[in-house]
Amino acid sequence: MPELPKRKVGIIACSGEEIPEGTVARLAALKVLQSMRAKETVTLCLPLFLAGGEGDRAFARFHPTIAVDGCEKQCAARGTEMYSGKPAASIVINHGACANSSPLGTARRLTQAGMQVVSDVADQIARHVDELLDLKWDRRAGARADSPTAQAESEARQAPCSCGSGVPVTTLHVAGRKAALVALPLIFAQFREAGKLPDDSTKAELMQAVKIYNPVPDADEEAYAQAVLQEYSVFCQRSH
Amino acid sequence: MAGQILQVTIDKFTFLVPTSLVYSDAGVWVELESNRARLGLSDFAQQSSGDAAFANMKPVGTKLERGDEIADIETVKVNVSVPSPVKGAIVEINPSLADAPELINQDPYGKGWLAVVELSDWESDRTQLLNAPAYLALVKDQAEAEMKK
Amino acid sequence: MRQKIIIVPCSGIGKSYGTVTREAAYVVTEDLCPERTRLVPLALLVLGGDEACSALGGAKAIALDGCKLSCAAKVVAESGGAVAHAIQVPEVFRRHRDLKPSGIAALDENGLRLARVLAQEVKELVDSMTGEVCHA
Repeated sequence: MPELPKRKVGIIACSGEEIPEGTVARLAALKVLQSMRAKETVTLCLPLFLAGGEGDRAFARFHPTIAVDGCEKQCAARGTEMYSGKPAASIVINHGACANSSPLGTARRLTQAGMQVVSDVADQIARHVDELLDLKWDRRAGARADSPTAQAESEARQAPCSCGSGVPVTTLHVAGRKAALVALPLIFAQFREAGKLPDDSTKAELMQAVKIYNPVPDADEEAYAQAVLQEYSVFCQRSH
Repeated sequence: MAGQILQVTIDKFTFLVPTSLVYSDAGVWVELESNRARLGLSDFAQQSSGDAAFANMKPVGTKLERGDEIADIETVKVNVSVPSPVKGAIVEINPSLADAPELINQDPYGKGWLAVVELSDWESDRTQLLNAPAYLALVKDQAEAEMKK
Repeated sequence: MRQKIIIVPCSGIGKSYGTVTREAAYVVTEDLCPERTRLVPLALLVLGGDEACSALGGAKAIALDGCKLSCAAKVVAESGGAVAHAIQVPEVFRRHRDLKPSGIAALDENGLRLARVLAQEVKELVDSMTGEVCHA
């Protein structure tokens, strides 16, 4: 039986070169990714994210993310939200993330005090990772499933056209535009193994599964359902 | 390349496995061309190895037993010794890899091919090779094990 | 005042090469050619608003990328910048095979030396673009 992806937490850091806090963000993220929570986390590369990396963007649509930023511009947090979804947690180094008031050093070389701040921020990131993996995460709302935000109607997020890299992303034509939907092949494989036919009897259940991983605007739900059902029909024919 | 492409995604990485090829468990794909076989690194093998900086190929004429090295690929992470999945003799090596080893990463099943081998015992070799679904299952296990390290 | 040449490193966090671009950018803009160059973070070009993009306007840029995906070159071009030169670290490494870098959080000695080699190549490009020689 094919499996839908296991949950991990993506960490995306700004790595801003101009200020020491950017270097702190980078090193703290790396400390968590490489040693503290290596098995539970995945590196999301911000430059690749911004330049069009579909694997990283698709991962961040599907899994909770932690953005670590060196300043109030919050490039990592805003970039994640722009291309995937709101981060589950957002740390900004110069907004009280650290209590240490000693100079951090330069962007190029941190002082010992700066390295202590790296450790402190890494601890903070690791705590967020632990919390997120213990929680039920509502990917559509970008929030814990038991939080008020998760109850609010979520907007459909524009997903850029993908080449299918990363978590499987399928582009369908729905209501006159392209819609990128994640995890369709995996959902279809499960339905096929369960013997569900590609007809109207399966449509509602199929859409329920699709909506776990993808935001679907209410107004277009029927159009999405038709497109998904048609895609499932093609999948079943190919599987013969 | 005709046929379907199977895929598996682990974390943010997707690994492609064309059904038109067969595979060794070391991640070398084989495409039968009459009495010859074209060889290359699978998508999983190239992603695991990292960006190829140098591809050092055994020369044309090299006689191979199954398991003998056909290429040594140097990446920034590791040096990958590529074992031949077939017995025979190298009749062609990819001339593009001398100047553009990155083709192994960018197009592992197409322009990044490594070598063509004239086969001498295909009936025995083929029994050791995996079809695409079997190789996909192996990739999934290996990738998950890699992520746990 | 003469416009500075913009240096944009990818600073990719997944590979040593990304850190090599970051270190090389610092060597160029702080040590070798501080009067002629300026480092602009890639993310600010996409998300930083007017200040970063206005730094690009009319200026020439040198993009330093850690791999063939060329994120820095792409983002500079998409932000309306003129990419005068795009350098990929793997190509530099191919010319200096003895300097295989390792480490992402901190480069090893080979990585630091590779960064200095890259920085020197960038300095030479800056010299040719400005018609003058940078004096550190």
